[in-house]
Amino acid sequence: MSSPARTDLGRALCIITGASRGFGRTVAREMSRLLKPGSALVLTARSVDELRALQAELAESEAGRAGLLVECVVADLSEADGLASIVKASKVAFSEDMDHVLLVNNAASLGDVSRYAKSFTDKAEVDSYLSVNVSSSLCLTASVLQAFPQRPGQLRTVVNISSLCALQPFRSWVLYCTGKAARDMMFRVLAEEEPDVRVLNYAPGPLDTAMQTVARSRTADPDVRKSFSDMFAQGQLLTCEASCSKLMKLLLEDGYTTGAHIDVYDV
Amino acid sequence: MLDVTNPRTLGRSICIITGASRGFGRALAHKVSRWLQPGSVLLLVARSETLLQELKGELWSFIVDQQSAVHCVAADLSTREGLDETVRVARQEAVTEMDRVLLINNAASLGNLSNFATFTGIDEVNSYLSFNVSSALVLTAGILQAFPRVPLQQRSVVNVSSTFALRPLPSWVLYCTAKAAREMMFRVLAEEQPHVKVLSYSPGPMDTDMQRDILRLTGVKNHLLPCQESAEKLVKLLLDDDFVSGTHLDFFKLKKLTSRDDTTM
Repeated sequence: MSSPARTDLGRALCIITGASRGFGRTVAREMSRLLKPGSALVLTARSVDELRALQAELAESEAGRAGLLVECVVADLSEADGLASIVKASKVAFSEDMDHVLLVNNAASLGDVSRYAKSFTDKAEVDSYLSVNVSSSLCLTASVLQAFPQRPGQLRTVVNISSLCALQPFRSWVLYCTGKAARDMMFRVLAEEEPDVRVLNYAPGPLDTAMQTVARSRTADPDVRKSFSDMFAQGQLLTCEASCSKLMKLLLEDGYTTGAHIDVYDV
Repeated sequence: MLDVTNPRTLGRSICIITGASRGFGRALAHKVSRWLQPGSVLLLVARSETLLQELKGELWSFIVDQQSAVHCVAADLSTREGLDETVRVARQEAVTEMDRVLLINNAASLGNLSNFATFTGIDEVNSYLSFNVSSALVLTAGILQAFPRVPLQQRSVVNVSSTFALRPLPSWVLYCTAKAAREMMFRVLAEEQPHVKVLSYSPGPMDTDMQRDILRLTGVKNHLLPCQESAEKLVKLLLDDDFVSGTHLDFFKLKKLTSRDDTTM
């Protein structure tokens, strides 16, 4: 008989990338409500103003007033020193009585969806995209796993914010699909290698965010663009909160197969 | 022009093979050359000028008897210059009225076989993805731009893939990630370009330097195929041309060559 789902994620160190806006910001807010006092949130993004505003908001929240530590790290994940600063801040925020280290790899970019694959003749552009969207999540995850090695009584969870695009090709979305497919495989390898790390590839669905606005206005392929604008027009976009609550449910129940790709609509 | 009464030919074509100096790429150069019609151009791309020239020497009968050309492009495909040079030579050497443009993205590296948690250095990961993912996209884009759609000309792009594009293998994060990336990349291309035939071909473990490295690094000894055998199978797939564009085909999952095919090969 399975044990009842947890109602919290423990006394945790939780690191969230791309935390300043969109889904990442929602994850920070929802997560803060599920962490026990004595937990720490390390939020990272490139934009200092939005991060600080979020930090202030969380500090004032019930969780903040109950003792949740919220640290901000303004960093570019594709820079070695950016990664180092996140790990450093995480080590400082960590305390020995924490029972959970949780990393949410959320930061991502869409890439130029106004063009087709055959236009990508600029290697620097493709390299840069892969660096931000693939390399940085590998290196950050590796660094966090090294900084916080397996300890008895401590859970380690790694979430990859994935997409349907990891599984299915979309015309004029070569960079995004390639990056998401790469990440899913990357985290599946992690799941195979480290049975003690809980690994989840979570596809949040079509969210009502800035990224989605770009998708429906800039996508080159007319059919793909229409499907995005139809979703918007017909109110089929999900709020970040609705999708995030599904992610939290998955994490609390902790019943998923490690390395699985789970879509919001599967939950 | 292509003789439609005898379709089992790759036609008078320009065929570009990357990583052509050794292993599977080298075997492909041999196999492909046998099915090209006179007036074809074979572009062999790799870093080693010496090995490429040696291969060109082995292809003398293709050059002389089949009145075709072999060009060696010594280029580092992890650089913009190397990619540009490859496209430049392809443009320059292709003649008009080619039946087919065939690009075989074969060049690849194994990468560091190491635990996931060791990959904390972004330069190493960037460098690996640049060569194994970016280069394939940039080269393919360059070749498709150099050879835009022309009536009655077939354009084919092959991605030399792996079973590990589809399933994960511990300690192989770089290789699996890059192969999975390429797989999706070429699926998007297939979706976008209905007039380009795209194939991801998983050749199986072959008697190559890459497999020797795998044995040395991991102690894992696979039963190895001769490169020639897998190369033959890929060429057969291209000749039969009855796969759906964007599909992933694996050497081991394909029906054995029939004895009739063996004699004609």
